[in-house]
Amino acid sequence: MIAALPLGAIPAADEAFRGEIREFLRARIPAIPPERRARSWMGFDAGFSRALAERGWLGLTFPEEYGGAGRGPFARYVLVEELLAAGAPVAAHWIADRQSGPLILRFGSEAQRRFHIPRIIAGQSFFCIGMSEPNAGSDLASVTTRAVPEGKGWRLNGAKIWTTHAQHAHYMIALVRTSGTAADRQKGLSQIIVDLSLPGVTINPIRDLAGEAHFAEVVFEDVLLGEDALIGEEGAGWAQVNAELAFERSGPERIFSSAVLLDCWAGYLRERGADAATERLLGRLLAELATLRALSVAVTARLVAGDSPVVEAALVKDLGTSFEQAIPALLTEALGADPEAVPPTALLRVLGYTAAMAPSYSLRGGTREILRGMIARGMGLR
Amino acid sequence: MQELLAEAAAELFSRHCPPALVRRLRAGGTDEGLWAKIEEAGFLDALRPEADGGAGLTPAEFLPVLLAAGRFAVPLPIGETAIARALLGGAAPPGAVLIAMPAGAPLQARIPAQRPAEWAVLPGDAALLPLADAREIDAAAPLERRLEWPEASIGQAVPEADWLLLGAWLECAVMAGALEAILESSIEHATVRKQFGRPVAGFQAVQQQLSVLTEEVFAARMAAQLGSIGGGEGPLGLDRARVAAAKTRIGIAAREAAAIAHAVHGAIGITEELDLHLATTRLLQGRALFGSADHWAGWLGRAYLAEAAGDFAGTLDFVRHHLAPQETA
Ligand SMILES: Cc1cc2nc3c(=O)[nH]c(=O)nc-3n(C[C@H](O)[C@H](O)[C@H](O)COP(=O)(O)OP(=O)(O)OC[C@H]3O[C@@H](n4cnc5c(N)ncnc54)[C@H](O)[C@@H]3O)c2cc1C
Repeated sequence: MIAALPLGAIPAADEAFRGEIREFLRARIPAIPPERRARSWMGFDAGFSRALAERGWLGLTFPEEYGGAGRGPFARYVLVEELLAAGAPVAAHWIADRQSGPLILRFGSEAQRRFHIPRIIAGQSFFCIGMSEPNAGSDLASVTTRAVPEGKGWRLNGAKIWTTHAQHAHYMIALVRTSGTAADRQKGLSQIIVDLSLPGVTINPIRDLAGEAHFAEVVFEDVLLGEDALIGEEGAGWAQVNAELAFERSGPERIFSSAVLLDCWAGYLRERGADAATERLLGRLLAELATLRALSVAVTARLVAGDSPVVEAALVKDLGTSFEQAIPALLTEALGADPEAVPPTALLRVLGYTAAMAPSYSLRGGTREILRGMIARGMGLR
Repeated sequence: MQELLAEAAAELFSRHCPPALVRRLRAGGTDEGLWAKIEEAGFLDALRPEADGGAGLTPAEFLPVLLAAGRFAVPLPIGETAIARALLGGAAPPGAVLIAMPAGAPLQARIPAQRPAEWAVLPGDAALLPLADAREIDAAAPLERRLEWPEASIGQAVPEADWLLLGAWLECAVMAGALEAILESSIEHATVRKQFGRPVAGFQAVQQQLSVLTEEVFAARMAAQLGSIGGGEGPLGLDRARVAAAKTRIGIAAREAAAIAHAVHGAIGITEELDLHLATTRLLQGRALFGSADHWAGWLGRAYLAEAAGDFAGTLDFVRHHLAPQETA
């Protein structure tokens, strides 16, 4: 069984960083309409990411010897919290900064680090994640995309799907089979870095239910890769991918996906006033937000202490996505409670987008059911 | 120190407050020396300032004792008594003290059911009155009792304080402890109880339910810690907004968690014999008393709306300023 999390605290030095970030955001955010800010970490704006890079805010936690800022997890926590609460368009650099960079630093060769990390930090290399395939969703070990040795490098065939912003990315880190057969499951899987500009790569954007093409299908036909495409060890892909997903689950990003909606609504209530039921709903959401944030800070404190609180992170993610999904669900009811009231259309546009996309919160990065399975294992039930 | 206190409390309650005694105490039986043991351990003077002969603990430092009391379903008002002693100082009488809620008329009070004590603080009357003088005018087991005191009852004045807030904080802490007990019991039951030839914990539907239970218990524990952070303007340095958030979140957690725990236990969980109800009825009481989640959520919502809007003053800022996991600087 896992033990209760003690309270964590954001160190003063990292908290002090918030002022600088605010100043930066104040100059940029008000110009972005709320319904665009509602995209949260799905909002793509390469210029915005490069402006962050100019400040030295990409790769904040990466070691200084590779050009990073060498700061701790709490500095990143504060940055991410500010960006997400404001609805800043962070998608361009998001995956490289959060997952691919740390993965390369941890498992990559020295040459891979020297090549990729400075480009990530400069906002020049955007990454995407090639895990899912048409027939490999939750059952990730069943991927069939295959890289076979050819000369000194690899020949890649297969297809990935649901790849967020593949059409704008420079590189994909893909989980592929490099040896054995599908029956070998986790064995024989590896992670490779694919330069998406290579011949044989076709990217077909897929329209989402909100009418945008933020994810894509990526098809590989005899793509020839150099030997340096392999990241980490051949056959170690499964363990690496799980380490990567742990980065994905431990940040504050699983609290703020509906933050723009919550704030637009709360701002509207401030102007217009609220009846008793609405006050209670607002208070309930604040209580949940405060508890989740305290949990998330506590998980970060464990990371700082050198632990890897994998189950705790899964638990906070599941609670967090439920909260993020509850916001549009409850506000849809609340905003329609009084047919005489006339909510601003800007608020309704934010609601419309957030409510439509909210089901994805508990799919991306591993579904709710899969996370709950992990928690059950952590509690000794399986 | 926190850990030592947690261990000492768990040790004391596991040895001297077995479930059988919990049942007898709730039914009005004698405490079989438990109160004396609690007194001896120093828990009752823990919140009293050091200058006043107490241990001078803060609410956050005292939290482990309350969590343990909740985990073992100790029905004696340890927290209430410790608070009364902290606020009344040398004037505090010996014996167990309850915090009452007003019942709409002078010298009438609502007190928690199944919680034996000698005294009750009546916030509306600003008085501490002996329970021996009171007449039960009505009762709603297992939630509360309605008591009335004669005019002539000799009590003692109590300082004006936000007793509702104090009561709410105590309920939060005890409920978070009770939630840990139902999680342990549910996991234990699911791994031992077999159906279809295997432990029910092997069924994915049960695993998923228990994962949600785990999440709620973790959230409640965190909320209790959040609610115990000091530096506030309330009595004992408690912070009203943090207690409001805690009571709200723990109220929701208790509702969901108790439902799952009962579902996983099956019919045996409905029996008097199994200890589960000692925790789940305590949770029910805690949800209902000293302002439910609805009361405190409403308060919190109004607190947000009363704040002036700044250029970025959204919900994160409110949480950072009023509900952060560290004392507000
Ligand atoms: C907005 C969005 C962005 C995404 N971006 C990316 C990306 O950039 N890169 C990438 O690789 N993938 C991405 N994904 C894909 C995502 O990782 C998958 O959706 C996810 O892993 C689930 O796979 P699936 O959709 O095929 O669902 P399925 O696995 O088919 O699941 C369907 C249902 O069955 C349940 N289920 C499946 N197996 C079990 C089990 N063993 N026990 C209990 N229940 C089970 C699931 O929980 C779910 O409810 C994205 C998805 C979304 C929605």
